Amino acid sequence: MEEISHIPQITLNLLGFNLVFNIETIVMTWIVMGILITFGFLATRKIAFVPNPFQVVGELLVSSFYDLTKDALGEDMVKKYFPLICSLFMFLLLSDWLGIIPMLSEPTKDLNTPLSLGIMGFCIAHYSGIKVKGIKQYVKGYCEPIIFMAPLNLIGELAKVISISFRLFGNIMGGAIIILVVSHLVYSLILPPLLVFFFGLFVGTIQAFVFTMLTLVYISLQVK
Amino acid sequence: MNIAGPDFIKGLAFLGAGIAMGLGAIGPGVGEGFAAGKACEAIGRKPEEAGLLTRTMLVGQAVSESTGIYSLVVALLLLFVV
Repeated sequence: MEEISHIPQITLNLLGFNLVFNIETIVMTWIVMGILITFGFLATRKIAFVPNPFQVVGELLVSSFYDLTKDALGEDMVKKYFPLICSLFMFLLLSDWLGIIPMLSEPTKDLNTPLSLGIMGFCIAHYSGIKVKGIKQYVKGYCEPIIFMAPLNLIGELAKVISISFRLFGNIMGGAIIILVVSHLVYSLILPPLLVFFFGLFVGTIQAFVFTMLTLVYISLQVK
Repeated sequence: MNIAGPDFIKGLAFLGAGIAMGLGAIGPGVGEGFAAGKACEAIGRKPEEAGLLTRTMLVGQAVSESTGIYSLVVALLLLFVV
């Protein structure tokens, strides 16, 4: 039970700053990236009219997310934002599924991964909002309906980052803790594999989809 | 029974974690059940739209679950950090 609160870390001292690295998260993220790159290479290596299995999965993902992005953003902006949305979903999906393999753990179990992805989505949404609407209209959007509401609108925008990243982190972390506690209680008999499949496959897929959809909605709120 | 100092704080933190999780689970439970009931009604009215309705329902439930997840995070902080 001690492994819940134990995080493997190394600390580097660089120019008076203490840099802390979470080794497990970094290695697991590298594994996910490696799997994704291999998948992309296998899917696009021999593009044929009769596709190989990897190409079928790739085409399925790409076409369904292309349609979803087109519904949310419209015909003219879909080319620009679709690669971000699709790669975000694939990264999160593989991250959440990595926990079902023994000895590996989800990178999303660490708060740093969802928080950095949430901040990335926030920055992209606001940058594209400023670019599309212009800085004057953008600032004016905060002063709706009257100027005294500006602090509230600002806090509302910041709360989106907190809510989107803590939702993913809490779901994955809570699932991992429930699996650990139940395995401890039943001496790892019968129940844990079912729980692993429920929390790893079902909840992980839904949370990856929700994270992607909310990032898309935040971008579309800014650019419309 | 004399409890003082760090033990007292630890005990209160465990109590707080239990209360936070128990009360925080009420809202998402009611909300998700409501969403599922409405989705059932809609599927009964239009069975051919079942796939879209199920997807929308799951996403809505996952979003409305977030308050429960916040209380889970608070409970974890109280259990392992305090």
